[in-house]
Amino acid sequence: MIEKILNSIKAIPAFPETVQRLMILLNREDYSVQELATVVKYDQAVTANVLRIANSAYFGLREKVKSVEQALSLLGRKNLIRTIQTAGVSRIFRAVPARGYVTTGSELWQHSVAVALMSQILSRRIRGEEDNVLYTAALLHDVGKMIMGEYVEEAMTAIMDKVTRQGYSFLEAEEEVFGINHAELGGKIAEKWKYPEEIRDAIRYHHRPDLLSEERPVPWFVHLSDQFASLMGVDGGIDGLACRALEQTIPMFQLRHKDLETCFILLHQDMDRAKDVMNLV
Amino acid sequence: MVDIVVGISDLKVSHRPEDVLVTYALGSCIAVAVYDPVAKVGGLLHYMLPDSTLDLEKARQNPAMFADTGIPVLFKSCYSLGAEKRRMIVRAAGGASILDDTNFFRIGQKNIMAMRKIFWKNNVMIESEDTGGNFNRTVRLALTNGKTYVKTSGGSIKEI
Repeated sequence: MIEKILNSIKAIPAFPETVQRLMILLNREDYSVQELATVVKYDQAVTANVLRIANSAYFGLREKVKSVEQALSLLGRKNLIRTIQTAGVSRIFRAVPARGYVTTGSELWQHSVAVALMSQILSRRIRGEEDNVLYTAALLHDVGKMIMGEYVEEAMTAIMDKVTRQGYSFLEAEEEVFGINHAELGGKIAEKWKYPEEIRDAIRYHHRPDLLSEERPVPWFVHLSDQFASLMGVDGGIDGLACRALEQTIPMFQLRHKDLETCFILLHQDMDRAKDVMNLV
Repeated sequence: MVDIVVGISDLKVSHRPEDVLVTYALGSCIAVAVYDPVAKVGGLLHYMLPDSTLDLEKARQNPAMFADTGIPVLFKSCYSLGAEKRRMIVRAAGGASILDDTNFFRIGQKNIMAMRKIFWKNNVMIESEDTGGNFNRTVRLALTNGKTYVKTSGGSIKEI
């Protein structure tokens, strides 16, 4: 079964080349807006998405952006990386039919965006700054569901029996039935797309950051953000709340109950401001 | 039938029999559905948090965000369409939590407790309640007869 599932990774679309080329440019200190614009314009879908994302209230640009050059020069490097990752990842979510976990592809996308927004709220609050690596990891954390969905759909009765009658979390049921879970599978997909180790591991361990031998904050941020989004009702599908909350998370982040409630308000606010981004898929 | 969507931290009321008030994806949030069978007026609230003292400014801008500010506005909005308190039927759903969430979020439980306390204090009986658990819910209130349906993320639909 594992072999078969791992083999399905081949079926997932290649990551948009435009995005990879843009990331290489953005990682250089001396990129020019003109260079970026040439690459973006080569890809119509990315161009359209970049304009929609740049105009969402989330990025708070004062003027309405009409051209790619304008978007690229106004957004700044941090927001550009996010915009371009979001534009690229949204295309993949649109291309792969979501099955098993969700009834529509947009459900999984909205959850992914909500977790990405939440990860930045927590990062600002706890570390005083936003974090693009965390943003990308959060956006991609459930990417494994795009492949796993097909298998989950076939084995739904067995999985739900374990979850509703035998006290398993959905993730544990996946492991028992398939020998692999959607997070591990997601890590492999990120590897295929050549994402750095930090992002791959955050995806792979987003339900079990305690299993990572090194102490790294990104998987814990994704773990907690995932729970916030799911509790808000913006879950990643049928497994939504049937997941385990690691009890060391809150003390680690030193969050009081009041902070948690305030975070819900902030997430609600950001989801509203990022409405255009949430509606991309 | 016209679906009128109630968002998160939102409420809608209606007296048009063809309307169905619906709110999707209640996680730890709670939907309160009220209905006056004589006036045929109903309302649906989807609140997110138990207590407005957390952020009074937010509560002023959007009372539907909190139980203690949202529930009174829900009732008052129904009164303005001709509903009367003594005839109102109250149903509630939501307040779910994550597995083993014994020690931290507890936001679902707090939302349930806040609602019960408010109704208790105001001598209002909750006719039926479908709360708790580890799954998301969608709630529909049909204005034609006040019937309230809950769909869980697993798929089954039931009347509460």
